[in-house]
Amino acid sequence: MSSIDLNALIIIFFVALGTYSLRVSGLLLSSKFVKEEGDLKLFLDYLPSTLLLALVVPSILKEGMIGLVAAFLIFLCMYKTKSILLSLLIGVVTIALYRNFFL
Amino acid sequence: MKNEFLDGFVANMPIGISVFTYGSVLGVLSTQKGVELFELVLMNIFIFAGSSQFVLVQMWDNTLDIIAMITAALLINLRYFLVGASLNPLFKQSSKKEKFKYMHFATDESWAITMQRLKSQDITPKFLFGGGVCIFLTWFVGTVLGYNLGEFINDPKIYGLDFAFVAIFFALALSMYKGKQDITPWIITALVAVVSSLYIDGNFYIVIAAIVGSYSAVILHKRKSL
Repeated sequence: MSSIDLNALIIIFFVALGTYSLRVSGLLLSSKFVKEEGDLKLFLDYLPSTLLLALVVPSILKEGMIGLVAAFLIFLCMYKTKSILLSLLIGVVTIALYRNFFL
Repeated sequence: MKNEFLDGFVANMPIGISVFTYGSVLGVLSTQKGVELFELVLMNIFIFAGSSQFVLVQMWDNTLDIIAMITAALLINLRYFLVGASLNPLFKQSSKKEKFKYMHFATDESWAITMQRLKSQDITPKFLFGGGVCIFLTWFVGTVLGYNLGEFINDPKIYGLDFAFVAIFFALALSMYKGKQDITPWIITALVAVVSSLYIDGNFYIVIAAIVGSYSAVILHKRKSL
């Protein structure tokens, strides 16, 4: 087994263990740990969106001008339809058209 | 009491279609990144959390950055702590054993549909379980099909498929918009991500930007309420 495969198994194991622990501990600790209001709750509320943005913004810029165009179209689509699937399609098609006809 | 497992399963079928589609995209991307099929299957069974699987596959490279990948995936999944906490009313009559058994099947989709149903109907955790199994199957079949079809696509860049990650995550992030108070933390996150990705090797900039961005939201909120 190569070291990449071993690393992959280590990663999968710990993410699986951690994710299951989060699911169960959230239920078991319930409202004891996270209060209705508070810094921790607010921080956690923002984490999914900030994490996703941190992930995509450098990738959008790396794509160049067309990346910004695609991002803007996704923004418009989400604003108008709130459909993630349609936004996905628009983003991918925009990039594909550009690469096939303008590069 | 009717068969609540079946009720939950059926109630999740419409959303299962989009889960199937996302799954097939992940399958296609997995082949491009050199993820083995058994690794994808292990993730499906034991992690079973879509967006974190996307993050793991995207960070998949010739060398796997163990700490950064585990941290990024678990940070994405931190919300499951709150999902679990919010399910307390559903499990109020349940034993610990039942809690341990069913919670693995709480996904964004099955959770959302369960919470919606809980408002109007007195359901048990079996509803959540049935919904979770529906999502599990559609996700599993979608990823494996995508994985096998993906092998026939020679140059995925022509189809813009590498951009699918970016498009999905960006759309998902936008779907989380709750109001004007989000704009400044989101801009801070974007700026920190762009700057730190230039200076930091690997994928750790994701974690740094997310923590700074979320923390900025806490500080901004405090300043406003003072």
